[in-house]
Amino acid sequence: MTFLSTGFVRGLIAQALGTLAGFAFVTGIRALSGLEPFDPVEPALVSGFAVGALAFLFGVGVFDDWLKWTRGISTSDHQEHDPEKPWWYRYLSVDFDHKVIGLQYGAAAMLTMGIGGSLALLFRTELATANVDFLEHFIFGQIFGEDHTGASLFNTFISLHGMIMIVTMLLGVGALSNYLVPLMIGANDMAFPRLNAFAFWVNIPGAIVLLASMFAGGFDTGWTGYPPNSTGYSAMGVSLFMLAVYIVGFSSIFGSLNVIVTIFRMRVPGMKLFEMPIFVWAAMATAFIQLIATQFIGLSFLMVILQRLFGMNFFDSTAGGSPVLFQHLFWFYSHPAVYVFILPGLGLISELLPVFVRKPLFGYKWVALSSLGIALVGYFVWAHHMFTAGMASYLRVPFMYSTLLVAIPTGVKFFSWVGTMWRGKMRFDTPMLFVLGSVVVFLLGGVTGPPNATVASNLHLHDTYWVVGHFHNTMFGGFMFPWFAAIYYYFPKFTGRQMNEFWGKLHFWLMVPAFLVMSTYQMLTGLLGMRRRIAGYDAALGIEGYQVIVTWAGFLIFFAVIIFAINFVVSARRGEVAEGNIWKSRSPIWQLPNPIPLHNYERPFRVVGEPYDYGDPNGHPYVDLDPSDDAPDEPTTPSDSEEQQAPGGADPAPAPTGD
Amino acid sequence: MRSLVNLIKRYGEYVFVAIFVVLSTYALGAFLTAGAANGTILPLQASREAVEIDELFNVQFWLIAFFFSLIVVFMLWSVIFHRRRGEDDDAPGEDFEGNSTLEIVWTIIPLGIVLALAVYGGSVLSNIERRATDALEVNVIGQRWAWRFEYPESGAVSSDLVLPVDRQVLLRMRSDDVIHSFWVPEFRVKQDLLPATFGDEDNTRELRITPTIKGDYKVRCAELCGELHYAMLADVMVVEPEEFETWAAAQAAECDLEAADCGARWVEQYGCTACHSFDGTQVVGPTWLGLAGSQVLLDDGSSVLADEIYLETSIINPNDQIHEGFQPNVMPVNFEEQLTEEQIAEIVAFIQTLGE
Amino acid sequence: MAHTTDVRDTYAHKLGNNRWGLWLFIISDAAVFIGLFITRFILLPGQRPELDQTIGLIVTVMLLASSFFMYRAEVHMRHGNLKAFQRSILTTLILGVIFLLGVVAVEWQIAHFGPADGQEGAIFYVMTGFHAFHVLTGVVLLYWVYNNSKRGVYTKEQHWGVEAAAVYWHFIDVVWIFFYPALYLIGTVA
Repeated sequence: MTFLSTGFVRGLIAQALGTLAGFAFVTGIRALSGLEPFDPVEPALVSGFAVGALAFLFGVGVFDDWLKWTRGISTSDHQEHDPEKPWWYRYLSVDFDHKVIGLQYGAAAMLTMGIGGSLALLFRTELATANVDFLEHFIFGQIFGEDHTGASLFNTFISLHGMIMIVTMLLGVGALSNYLVPLMIGANDMAFPRLNAFAFWVNIPGAIVLLASMFAGGFDTGWTGYPPNSTGYSAMGVSLFMLAVYIVGFSSIFGSLNVIVTIFRMRVPGMKLFEMPIFVWAAMATAFIQLIATQFIGLSFLMVILQRLFGMNFFDSTAGGSPVLFQHLFWFYSHPAVYVFILPGLGLISELLPVFVRKPLFGYKWVALSSLGIALVGYFVWAHHMFTAGMASYLRVPFMYSTLLVAIPTGVKFFSWVGTMWRGKMRFDTPMLFVLGSVVVFLLGGVTGPPNATVASNLHLHDTYWVVGHFHNTMFGGFMFPWFAAIYYYFPKFTGRQMNEFWGKLHFWLMVPAFLVMSTYQMLTGLLGMRRRIAGYDAALGIEGYQVIVTWAGFLIFFAVIIFAINFVVSARRGEVAEGNIWKSRSPIWQLPNPIPLHNYERPFRVVGEPYDYGDPNGHPYVDLDPSDDAPDEPTTPSDSEEQQAPGGADPAPAPTGD
Repeated sequence: MRSLVNLIKRYGEYVFVAIFVVLSTYALGAFLTAGAANGTILPLQASREAVEIDELFNVQFWLIAFFFSLIVVFMLWSVIFHRRRGEDDDAPGEDFEGNSTLEIVWTIIPLGIVLALAVYGGSVLSNIERRATDALEVNVIGQRWAWRFEYPESGAVSSDLVLPVDRQVLLRMRSDDVIHSFWVPEFRVKQDLLPATFGDEDNTRELRITPTIKGDYKVRCAELCGELHYAMLADVMVVEPEEFETWAAAQAAECDLEAADCGARWVEQYGCTACHSFDGTQVVGPTWLGLAGSQVLLDDGSSVLADEIYLETSIINPNDQIHEGFQPNVMPVNFEEQLTEEQIAEIVAFIQTLGE
Repeated sequence: MAHTTDVRDTYAHKLGNNRWGLWLFIISDAAVFIGLFITRFILLPGQRPELDQTIGLIVTVMLLASSFFMYRAEVHMRHGNLKAFQRSILTTLILGVIFLLGVVAVEWQIAHFGPADGQEGAIFYVMTGFHAFHVLTGVVLLYWVYNNSKRGVYTKEQHWGVEAAAVYWHFIDVVWIFFYPALYLIGTVA
C-alpha cells in the first residue's frame, strides 16, 4: 500500500492515463476534421507520449510547490518526513535533499545501464557469426512483432544501446554532481532544490518513452538519427526516440544550471574557487557544456519530428533542404556531450588519486583549468564527425587543427596524474584499482584519437569499428570505471558500510582486462574493414575469430557488473560497518559521520588549508568543521582526520539511507 | 659512497624509466607498423591514396606507441616501486605540489607535436585530392540497398565497379534515397553520398581514387541506411585497361537478345536483386519466383492478379499497391526516369519467366 | 543548534541565486533561437518568405510597446505603486496576447504557404512557432504575477516574481528584434 502511494507509482499511473488521453485527443481531432483517425497513427502517438510525460511530472508531484507559488502560497525548503514511512519511501517520491536526488540519479543510472548492457549482449551475440541468424530467432518476432527482421532488430538494438548508455552517463553525471558538489563546497543543498527534483524526475518518463520506441516499430537510424533516413524512411520508433531525447534534455539543461549556480553561489563563505576540491571544477566545466549545447540536439531532433509529422522540409536535399545542416546541429551538442561524460570521471580520478598515493595533486591549477580548456575547445571541434559527410571540404582542415588541440589539455591531465603518482605511497584498495584502470583505458582512448582527427586517416577510419573501440575506451576510461571507483569509494557515505573488497577486486580484475581485450579487437577489426552498425559482415574479411573474442569479452564485462550488483546489495545490508574516515581523506565529506546526517554540516566549516596536502603530515587540515573564534588557525597534529570528525557520528543504519 | 647510492636512488630511476619508455615505444611501434605493412592490421594497399594514407598511419602508430608507453611506464614504475610497504595507511608520499616549468614544457611540446601532425595531415590530404587530367569519370548512385555505376564515357551501366588499373578515377556520387557512404577498405578513402536528383551539382560529391593493384575488392556502404545496410556491397574489379575497355563496350552495347534475357541484364545492372530474390526467399521485397500470374494479397486486404500491368505499375509506382507483409516507402520511386519504357517491359518479361 | 547566521540563508543571497539561475536559463534558451537563426540563413540564403508586411509591422510594434509597459510595471513596483503596477502589467499582457493573435490567428492564416511548402514554410512556421510558444509562456507568467500582486504577494522591497517575469518578457522581445528582420526584411522574396 505504501508502495502504491509513492510519487513514482502515481507518476506512472498519470503517465499511462496522460498518454491515452493525448492519443485519444489527437485521434478525435483527426476524426472530427475528416481525416483518417489512425492512418498515420504517428501524430497521435507522439502527442500521446508527450502529454504522458508531462502527466508523469504532475503525478509524481514535482510541480506541486511551483503551482502553489503561482497561487501566492509560499512553501518551505525543508520537507517534513513521515517517520512511519519506510526508508525507501523518500527515494521513490519527490524529495528536495540533494543526497536523495543524487542517489535517485545513481539508481536510475544503474537501471538504464543494465538495460543498455543487455541490449549490447543481444547484438554482440548476433555478431559472433558473420550471418544474421541469432536475431532471426522466432522468439524476437514474438516480442517485437512479426514484421521485424533480424537486421532491423539489430539496428534498433544498436541505436537504443547508444542512446540508453548516453542517458545512463547523463544520469551518472547527475548523480555525481548532485551528491558530491554541495558536500564538497560545504553547502547543505543545491541552490534550487525543487528544480533539482524536476531535473531528476523528468528523466523517468523520458526513459519510458525511449524504451517504448522499441515497440513502436523500432528505428533503423542509429542514435545519430541522420535524415533523410530518420525523416522519410525509418519506422515511427524514431519519433518516440527523438521525443525521449528531447524530454531528457530538460534534465541536462536545468540540472547543469543548478550546478553552476550552486558552485558560484553556495560555497561555504571563505572558500575561493581555487580552493575547491578538483571534482567541483570538473562538474562546473561539464555544466557549462550541458547548459548551452543540449539545446542544439533538442532543436535538431525537434526539427526531424516536425518534418515527419507536418512535412516541414528542413533536411531533404532533393527539395532544397540540407541533411548536412542536421549533422552540424546534432554534433554541436553530441561532440561536446562526450566531454560531459568524461570530465566528471576525470575529475574523480584527480580527486581520488591523491588520497591513495598520499601526495598532493600535481599542478592543481593546471588540472582545474584543463577541464575548462577541454570544455571550451570542445565547442569548436564538432565537424570532425563529418569529414566524410560531404560538408564544404575546405572546412575540414580547420576542424582537424582544433580537434588535435584537444590533446593539449587532456595531456596536461595525464601528465599531472603521473606526477601525482610519482614517489607516492600508493595503496591498492578497490577504488584505487578502478582509478588506475581508468587512466590506462582512457589513455588508450586518448592516443587512438589523433588518427581520427587527421582528415586523411579519418577517411579510412570513419564509421568503422576502430571508432567504436576508440569511443568505448574514452567512455569506459572517462566515465564507467571512475563511476565504479566513486561507488566503492563513497559507499560508506550513504550506507554506513563498506563494500566487500574481495568481490570488488574480482570485479575489477574481470572487467578491466575483458574490456581492454574487447576494445582492442574492436579497433583491429575496424582497421581491417569492419563497418559500424552492421548486423552481418563479410566472412571474407577474416575477422570472425576476432568477433567471437569481442563477444566473449562483452559477456565477461556483463558478468563482472553482475558481481558488482550483488556485492552492492549484500554489502549495503551486511557489509562491514565503516566508522569515520576510512580512506583517511582530507575532503570535508569524509569529516562527516557515515552515513551523512540529514542536513550535511551543522555549521559552515572554515577552509584552513589546501585540499590535497597529503604530503605534509604537519600541515593544516583542509577544513575545520567546528570553527570557534578563539583558535582559528592553529595547526593541528598530524593529518589525523579522526580528530576533526564532526561530533556525534551516528551509528550506521542497518539499511541504506540518505540521512 | 652513500651519497652516490642516494644520487642513483634519487635520479637513477628516471634513467631506468626512460630506457623502458624507449624500449616499449620501439616494441609497440614496430609491432604496429609491421602489422600495417604485412596486412594483419590494415588491409591491402591497393591505391595510390592508400600508400599516402598508410604513411600517415605509420606516423600515428609511432605517436600512439610513444605516448602510451610514456604514461604507462611511468605509471607502472610508480605502481611497482612507489607503493606503500608496510607503512601506515596515511604515511605521506614525497611532498611536491607541482612544477610550473614542467607544466609549461608538457603543454608546449605536445602542442608542437600536434601542430606538426596537423600540417603533415593537411599535406597528405591535399596529396590524395590531387587531380589527374585523364581521370575516368564514373557516376556512383547509391540506393537502398544497391550500388549502380554509370560510365558516361562509354555509356556502360553496371552494378559492379570495374576500374582500369593505374588510372585515376573520378567518382561523382549521389544517392537516390538516404545517405550512403562509399568505402573500399583497400583504397582507404570514404565519401558520403547525399540524396540528390540527377544533375544536382550542389549535392553531388566527388572522390578521386587511383587503383594500383589488380584484384577483386568490395564497395561497402559505411553509413547506416536502413534494414539491409550490412548487405549493401558491390564488387570492385581492378583490371588491365584493355580488359576494362572490352568490358565497358559490352556493358554499353544495345541488348539484342530476347526480351526476357535483356530484362535479366537490366535487373542485374540496376541492383533489383538486392531486394527481390529469384528462388523464393523473402528479402525486403517480394520474391519473383511464382509471382507473375499469381493472386497477390495487398495490405489493404484486397487481392490483385499479378499481370503485366500490375508488374509494370509496381516498378513505376511501387507504393500504389503494397504486397501484404511488406513495408511501403522501401523501393525507389524513380525507375520511370532511370529506365526506358522498353527496359521496363523487358524486366516485366523477365519476371514473367519466373512466374507460375 | 546554535546557528551563526549563514549569509547563504538570507533573502538577498537567495535573490542573487535566482538572478544567476534566470540568466543562465536565458543564455541556454537563447541557444535555441541562435540555432533557428542560423538554420534560417542556411536554408534560405539571400531570400525571405513572402509575408504580409503590415501585419508584421503591427505585431512588432505591439511587442515592443509591451516591453515598455513591462518596464513601467517594474518601476511602479519598485515605488510601491501597486495600482499603477497592475494597470501596466495588464497592458503588457494584453499587448502580448494581441501579438500572439496577430502571428498565429492572422499571419499564419493569410500566409501563402503552409508548413509543408518548401523551406519558406518550414522556416517561417518553426521560427514564429517557437517564438510564439515563448510568448505564450510569458503571458501565462504575467497572468500569475498579476494575480499574485492582487493577493499582495509582492512588496516594493521583495518582488522577485515581477523581476523574473520582466526579464523573461524582455528576452522574448529581444529575440523578436532579431527574428523580425530575419523573416520580414532581409533578402529578396522567395
